[in-house]
Amino acid sequence: MTQLPPFLRPGDTIGIVCPAGYMPLKKAQTCIDTLQQWGYRVEIGATLGSVSHDYFSGTDRERLADLQQMLDNPGIKAILCGRGGYGLTRIIDGIDFAGFCGNPKWIIGYSDITLLHAHIEANFGIATLHAPMAAAFNEGGAEGPYVHSLRLALEGKDLSYACDPHPFNRHGQSIAPITGGNLALLAHAAGTVSLAPMAGKILFIEDVGEYLYNIDRMFRQLKRSGHLDRLAGLIVGSFTEGKDTTRPFGATPEEIIRDAIAEYDYPVCFGFPVGHDGRNVALKIGAPHRLSITGEKISLYCPGGGTTS
Amino acid sequence: MNRKNFLTSVLGLGVFCAARASTPPSVHASKSAPAQSASNPQPLLIPPYLKPGDTIGITCPAGDITLKEIQPAVQLIESWGFKTLAGNTVGKKDFIYGGTDAERLADFQQMLDNPDIKAILCARGGYGSVHIVDQLNFSPLLKYPKWVIGFSDITVLLCHIHANLHIASIHSKMCNSFPDDWNKAEPVQVASILSLRQALSGSDKMKYSTSPNPQNRPGTAEGQLVGGNLKTIETLAGTRSDIDTAGKILFVEDTGEYLYSIDRMFWQLQRTGKLDRLSGLIVGGFKIKPDDPGEEFGRTVYDIVTERVRTYAYPVCFDFPVGHQKENYAFKYGVPHTLVVGTDQVTLTETAQPNPLTQPNLS
Repeated sequence: MTQLPPFLRPGDTIGIVCPAGYMPLKKAQTCIDTLQQWGYRVEIGATLGSVSHDYFSGTDRERLADLQQMLDNPGIKAILCGRGGYGLTRIIDGIDFAGFCGNPKWIIGYSDITLLHAHIEANFGIATLHAPMAAAFNEGGAEGPYVHSLRLALEGKDLSYACDPHPFNRHGQSIAPITGGNLALLAHAAGTVSLAPMAGKILFIEDVGEYLYNIDRMFRQLKRSGHLDRLAGLIVGSFTEGKDTTRPFGATPEEIIRDAIAEYDYPVCFGFPVGHDGRNVALKIGAPHRLSITGEKISLYCPGGGTTS
Repeated sequence: MNRKNFLTSVLGLGVFCAARASTPPSVHASKSAPAQSASNPQPLLIPPYLKPGDTIGITCPAGDITLKEIQPAVQLIESWGFKTLAGNTVGKKDFIYGGTDAERLADFQQMLDNPDIKAILCARGGYGSVHIVDQLNFSPLLKYPKWVIGFSDITVLLCHIHANLHIASIHSKMCNSFPDDWNKAEPVQVASILSLRQALSGSDKMKYSTSPNPQNRPGTAEGQLVGGNLKTIETLAGTRSDIDTAGKILFVEDTGEYLYSIDRMFWQLQRTGKLDRLSGLIVGGFKIKPDDPGEEFGRTVYDIVTERVRTYAYPVCFDFPVGHQKENYAFKYGVPHTLVVGTDQVTLTETAQPNPLTQPNLS
């Protein structure tokens, strides 16, 4: 049973940290302003707009300490990761989740943050939010539907998403907990303590900047690890900025996925608005969702309220 | 690299020893593998070494290659006294693959099934072995053990065979890196390819030496030699092809990866339990993909590895001549070796086997 952290009320505090790549404060300013307009207080962690001069937003120790104090502070009701990049792997085994488990709160992010979501799902059974991060508020994003979906999720409202049919879709309906995120991070977590079995769940995947052959390799890793054969459903998000080898790979990400799951019969949809292409709806990892795929319409629904699965 | 010593050893081979080559498959228990524990030692099966007239099959389980492109390898191997048999996939092309999955599977399978083929040389790497590995029936290997040869993407097969069958294989250059003109080849290329001949002939124990890197951690290690392409090893985690590295000497190499990705892969090795009980670590060639502007990682491969192994005590050596560079010696995969990381020299030597045992009852 997945536990849902308490939804947010006006006046609650959201902490912003950068557990992976560096982010200057100004790139998060619109996000901070928007969260405040929504009625929340914002606490800026030391790793956002830090003095770091390298790839990371701070040393492993600094990033760990910043995330740790946000987890432990009972006054923080949600932790929004400023950005992804790379770096969660380097601190995840050092995080003490005891305080978080006693006092669950929403952890928000995607991309590299997938590892944190997967780790919490596998080890603690607490729902997390795969959702836009600070940069998604910029350039009008704060008024857009994707950032809005994050707001609805935090407020405990019903989440209801739709997308257009795709010729590769497989029709059907499933009600099951949702799991997933960035394919590279899910593959990276395979064989470690950070990946829960996916059987019986609706899996969603997305990725950015990967070679086609590598998408094929990573997806097959999940398959060969036994994660794909008993899914309740599969949601394929965007695969953006894909690269190809000098000799063309000869299959799109969608074709790669379609072919690798041809032997299964669960519902599958392609082109769902989750990923790095600007369309990225908030999804409550671990919470039950209803996925419905017909020839006319694809819908994904997650009831709000305080219900716990 | 102490090339002189190595070249003397390899080039001095001359005609290999037929007596050794006729030795039947020998089996011995791995000596130092805590994970497999003394109570359940994993027997290692060493395929028969090749003798003149034996046939080496050439096939493409991954990327494509033309018949013309394998000619330098064919001619050289035949000059060594072996026969070659090019499989149906040589010359086939299905986008990046040497034929469809079904074609590559069938070709590799018939090479496994055919008792007259004594070694299977993968023509090249690329990508694609993982498409066929689960469909391959490896049981003929237990009946007619033979050497499977390759590296890079072929790491899938080497790992799978090690993890599931515990049969030795050869991590080595493939047809696509045999020089067009043997006489104009660079000495390290010649030495690398001749080391494959040495490995196949079994005439002498394998012995490699290289000059020390200041970043090395000195010490001596003994254990089965396993590893291969790091990215490929990462993508086998969680699958039945994943290797157990406890008590073993792990070697890794890679090409075309970003530094952050290499860092993530070493973390993954650690988080999948592949670093903590090693006997020793060999870091081969790493061709780095330059950081994107503004995404400078700021750490070298030396930094990355040193940081990951800091809490362990086993020997570590860098820049070992294995990988996607011209100097890439043949390794007998799964076979016990001794690694000595000294301050003057680094040596890796095939460990003298215990008394050969009889072949196990492979009913």
